[in-house]
Amino acid sequence: MTTQELEFDRSQLGVEYDAGSFPVKAESIIKCCRALGESNPIYLDEKAARAAGHPGLVAPPAFCGIFVRGFGRPDIKLKAGGGGMHAGEVIENHVPVYAGDVLSAKTSLKDVYAKTGRTGTMVFVVWETSFTNQRGQKVADVQESFMRRA
Amino acid sequence: MTRYYDQVDMGDELASVEKEVSDQMVLDFCDVWSSGGGASRFTDHEIAKKEGLPGAIVPGIMSMNYMAQFLAGWADGGQLKKLDVVFRQPVQHPQTISFVGVITDKNQVAGENQVECDVYIQNAYGDRLVGGKATVVLPGRK
Repeated sequence: MTTQELEFDRSQLGVEYDAGSFPVKAESIIKCCRALGESNPIYLDEKAARAAGHPGLVAPPAFCGIFVRGFGRPDIKLKAGGGGMHAGEVIENHVPVYAGDVLSAKTSLKDVYAKTGRTGTMVFVVWETSFTNQRGQKVADVQESFMRRA
Repeated sequence: MTRYYDQVDMGDELASVEKEVSDQMVLDFCDVWSSGGGASRFTDHEIAKKEGLPGAIVPGIMSMNYMAQFLAGWADGGQLKKLDVVFRQPVQHPQTISFVGVITDKNQVAGENQVECDVYIQNAYGDRLVGGKATVVLPGRK
């Protein structure tokens, strides 16, 4: 199976959806960082973050990726295998995220392609999400790839 | 201690870090990530086994956050600009994983001191479970 032969709703490619708004809560940052075994106080203690020159508690650098789960994305009607696994992720940070920020997200289907290797054909579905903060600043772009066996 | 751009060079290795990932850490992470979304292949060994996995696995986004933490810790005073991660093999827990990395390039781009790194999450046998390419911006000396 080649990319050209893949059956899915191609009209979804590049169509941007509003994925909702995401308040960045201090307790979520702290709980996430404790779960990661983080010890840097800029992520755990607002006073320490301010003392280090930040305007508030700092979100860790891949924090936006946490919000991407649960987006109600449209069915692209892909006819290739089943299940699927998270194959890769790209996060590009533009400005820091702080507790108290409210992020809005827009997501779109970036690519669907097939690759054939020793173990057979794999189909990749790539979604792109852009996060903007309440000041209108672009905060981060997150790209997720999911793979299923054809 | 701040790490400056002029202190690093291509081929330099990032000091390796070990981390013990417990079942509880994954549970706590999933509590934030999936808002207590219930038992899953990430939190329940039996569910994971029914899905053909050897046991519960670390969510990809948690591995990515670990890798970002490793890089941010190394780049003290700098910023993680971009991280591109490939999940090569499932990361089971509990287990001790290690983070390794090497600088592959450095460039001054549009006034930024950018350092390119290859990074990996390894198990105790040296298997590279997760691979990443990162761009880190380091401060220059005034």
